Amino acid sequence: MSIDLAARDETPASGSEPPAKRGHRVLAPPVTGQEIVLVCVIAVLWIILGFATPAFVSAGSIQPLLGAVAPIALIGIGMTVVIITGGIDVSVGAAIAVCSVITAKLVLVQAGLPLPIALLISIVVGGLLGLLNGVLIAYGRVHAIIITFGTANIFQWISLKLFNSTTVNNIPDTLAALGNGAAGRTFGVPNSFLITVVLVAIAWVYLRHTAGGRHFYAVGGDQLAAELAGVKVRQRVLTAYLLTGLLVGLASCIVVAQGSNLGQNVGAGKELAVIAAVVIGGTSITGGRGSVFGTVLGALLVQTVASGVTQLGWRSELSDLFVGIAIIIAVGADLIRERARRKR
Amino acid sequence: MTIPTAAEPDLTGAQDDQSGSPTPERAESLPARVIRALLTQRIVLLAVLLVLVVVYFMVLGATGYLTAAYDFDYLSAALINAVPLAMLGFAELFVILSGRGGIDLSVGAIVSLAGMIFGFAYGRWGWPLWLAIVITAAVGAALGLVNGILVAYIGFPALIATLATYYAYKSLAVVINNQRPISTKPIQNLYESTARSVELPLIGSWIPNVPKGIFLFLLPTLVVVWLLLARTTYGRRVYAIGTNDVAAQWSAIGVRATRAGAYALSGLISGLVAVVTVGQFASARPDAGISGNGMALPAITIAVLGGVAITGGIGRVSGIVLATVLIVWMNAGIRLAFEGNAGPQYQLLALGVLLVFAALLNGFALRRYGLAG
Repeated sequence: MSIDLAARDETPASGSEPPAKRGHRVLAPPVTGQEIVLVCVIAVLWIILGFATPAFVSAGSIQPLLGAVAPIALIGIGMTVVIITGGIDVSVGAAIAVCSVITAKLVLVQAGLPLPIALLISIVVGGLLGLLNGVLIAYGRVHAIIITFGTANIFQWISLKLFNSTTVNNIPDTLAALGNGAAGRTFGVPNSFLITVVLVAIAWVYLRHTAGGRHFYAVGGDQLAAELAGVKVRQRVLTAYLLTGLLVGLASCIVVAQGSNLGQNVGAGKELAVIAAVVIGGTSITGGRGSVFGTVLGALLVQTVASGVTQLGWRSELSDLFVGIAIIIAVGADLIRERARRKR
Repeated sequence: MTIPTAAEPDLTGAQDDQSGSPTPERAESLPARVIRALLTQRIVLLAVLLVLVVVYFMVLGATGYLTAAYDFDYLSAALINAVPLAMLGFAELFVILSGRGGIDLSVGAIVSLAGMIFGFAYGRWGWPLWLAIVITAAVGAALGLVNGILVAYIGFPALIATLATYYAYKSLAVVINNQRPISTKPIQNLYESTARSVELPLIGSWIPNVPKGIFLFLLPTLVVVWLLLARTTYGRRVYAIGTNDVAAQWSAIGVRATRAGAYALSGLISGLVAVVTVGQFASARPDAGISGNGMALPAITIAVLGGVAITGGIGRVSGIVLATVLIVWMNAGIRLAFEGNAGPQYQLLALGVLLVFAALLNGFALRRYGLAG
């Protein structure tokens, strides 16, 4: 049923739309069809895995799973906003590498600073990297994928330079509150996941119920129309990349907290994992439609598959195959619904 | 049947500029014309950059700053790296030209998977070389066709379809032989016939030895791709659908078949690259196309640097070739200028800066002159 509602209320309530009649819904329904399907799929997977390997539903298995979802879902918030505006950011993997090596090596190992300062520095560094992307894309008016491919290379150079050909070892447990250990849990749930849930909730309300949030959808739906309707398009685009950068900084701290060593390949391939989570969550890659709630579900699905494959004793590389298939099915289902909508 | 496309005037314009004959903008002063050519004709810009890079490193070499001689022998030997890079650049050229956000993230994964198939066929089952190559190319084309069907017939955004198949193919490549490479005797011998440098007949004594892979793989692919794009109806159709999907549809062009074909061709070329990479490594490695940053990102970088418009319909073979040579010779120079690991790291920086610079320049040229080079 929710599919029908989605059909009628497809267009986001950007400023360019005529005022809606009383009683008509302007916003898309709070939960989209894609998200309901995802919740069902994840539930079914957990039940099946629970029967197949009882160890899967134990706390010892779920806790690391949630901990692994956290960084992907956190960056996914930013990536969702970026993709809603019609852009993309493939530099987040390299940006994670920069933030985490700075946090681990310079801040924790060499300077031995406490958690709040480490967090602050990492977020500021991430924000600067995001700002660079945002300025180049918003004011250079170049397609986002090209710019972020370029900055990905530059970020990777920075991180390798800082790594200086060695892994970072013996990282102190300053960030334990964000890690996978007992210190990193509140009521048995990893703090990193709780932070993610809170930020997702804030982002969900902001994107859905504030003018500023709706402007992102307007930019992605039709940039020119948004501009004419008085949306500060460049500022919105810049904000989207800046936000992604800040979240990368936060997520990097979680990544650092999850181990006592940091390899040079940290973050490699994470950009694709984040994009996969976002598109499985039902965000349209062409912009103008999507929700952060779906992104969390997407990240959860991907991580469930990965964790399930290893616990069933299959080759861990097989999980990539299922991720690929999941992307095809999720986006394919969305395409079919979209087509049905247009026919009506 | 002639289809007026945006690429048509672009082609003729470029030739005018290269031969130095007067261009339509005769009223402009010479410096203005030079700047215009630099900004709008990507070939001219790349050629100038290439000369600058080579001269710069040669001067560095002459002053004894480099760790080894940056001479023509070295440059020629470095060209072996251009073989996979340029060929994957052609693969991306087809896909990006076909428009509607065309992009192929899966080429690296196809190289890995097709390479493993080649390893099985030639290294394990002892098939004749030609048959193994044909099978590998066919497998690549089939994998590319899956992308093509997803994008052209079902309507997936290219970025998503190829992201999904990237994951799937990568996983299959690793699982197919339990993560182990295949490096039997025939595979090891392959290095001799692909990567080794040879002296050319007749003129060989005057010019440096050239890696065999250039003649066996790169040049044939180059010629075929160029003929296909510039001299056949299929090529015209690719430009047409990339320039204007709907107009092409109304001109009775099979838009879907043409677009699916572009992805299949991209897969086919990736299959050939798989053979080259197996020869270069002397082993069929499951991670050949996906280790580190993978092969897709450099290939897309080459295409963009070579002046292929990401929006489709604009782009030429010569741009890809020049961009590849520029990257390869620049990397070769950087490798000599730094010791240890710093070299490969600076290559990343240079590539990134070059890409951002080229993209910004594209945007600027578009606003200043109203056309993308």
